[in-house]
Amino acid sequence: MKAVRPLGALLLLIAAGCVTGEWNRAGLGEPVPRERLEALHRGADTLGACLASLGAPERVFEHDVAPDGSSGVALLWYWRDEAGFGVDVSAGREEVPGSVSFDFVGVDLPGCVLWFDRDLVLQEWRSGLVGDLLPRRVRPAGLDGG
Amino acid sequence: MFRTTLRTVVLSSLSLVAACAFARQDTNEPLDATTVAALQAGVTTARDVTERLGAPTEVVQLGRRTAYRYDATSAKSTVLFLLLVNFGNQDTRSDRLWVFFDEKDVLSHYGVSFGTHRTQYAMPWEDVHEASDNASRDADRPGVVR
Repeated sequence: MKAVRPLGALLLLIAAGCVTGEWNRAGLGEPVPRERLEALHRGADTLGACLASLGAPERVFEHDVAPDGSSGVALLWYWRDEAGFGVDVSAGREEVPGSVSFDFVGVDLPGCVLWFDRDLVLQEWRSGLVGDLLPRRVRPAGLDGG
Repeated sequence: MFRTTLRTVVLSSLSLVAACAFARQDTNEPLDATTVAALQAGVTTARDVTERLGAPTEVVQLGRRTAYRYDATSAKSTVLFLLLVNFGNQDTRSDRLWVFFDEKDVLSHYGVSFGTHRTQYAMPWEDVHEASDNASRDADRPGVVR
């Protein structure tokens, strides 16, 4: 009978909507297939060839700007497909503030970056977590007469 | 006896309070694949592109070159509410077009991806990236399959 009391209290909380379990999945975009990345040729493939193979990136950045204003290009793809369990606990009454939620869904964003030189030939590509792949954002280079 | 009754009550409650929710959020009009296919490197100018596709969502300076981004996004969300646990899924995909111009504003390259037609209402345990699903949806969208 002792075990029934906590179970009853839990059921009451659940019935009142105070405690809810969750299983959520969030997908953003579609992953770039690894085999397509591995088929790229550093020092040979052009920007056009890479765009034809991988499609449009999510972001485009200026890269390796020369004093004469010419620049390379960096392309970033990222995606997300995360699923996880969570628990949401809330008071359900305005006079009792606060709500707590806890989940196991990660926040890291996988992706890949391709760097092209000033002739728009592929220099390098890497895949991993976006935060590890990109340098800090910088302003675009200034141009003469600009 | 009590436990059996309790289990029955819980399971009955679960079936009685089930509910579903569906939501869809679209941003921008999907890109017209036939308009994109008409772009010609070395011929089409930045002015031609903006006349055909309108204002870009982003303009990036790449040294003396520029790149314009066009996009549209579709997100479909599904939630199944049960008494003890909720199941949720959100599938977000986008159409993206990046057009690259040389310093004379003539198109040098473009990359395009079409994804808005592939979004699905689904439960978190379902695979929304099956190749057969994608192929059948691609076939229904004019200009996507070349």
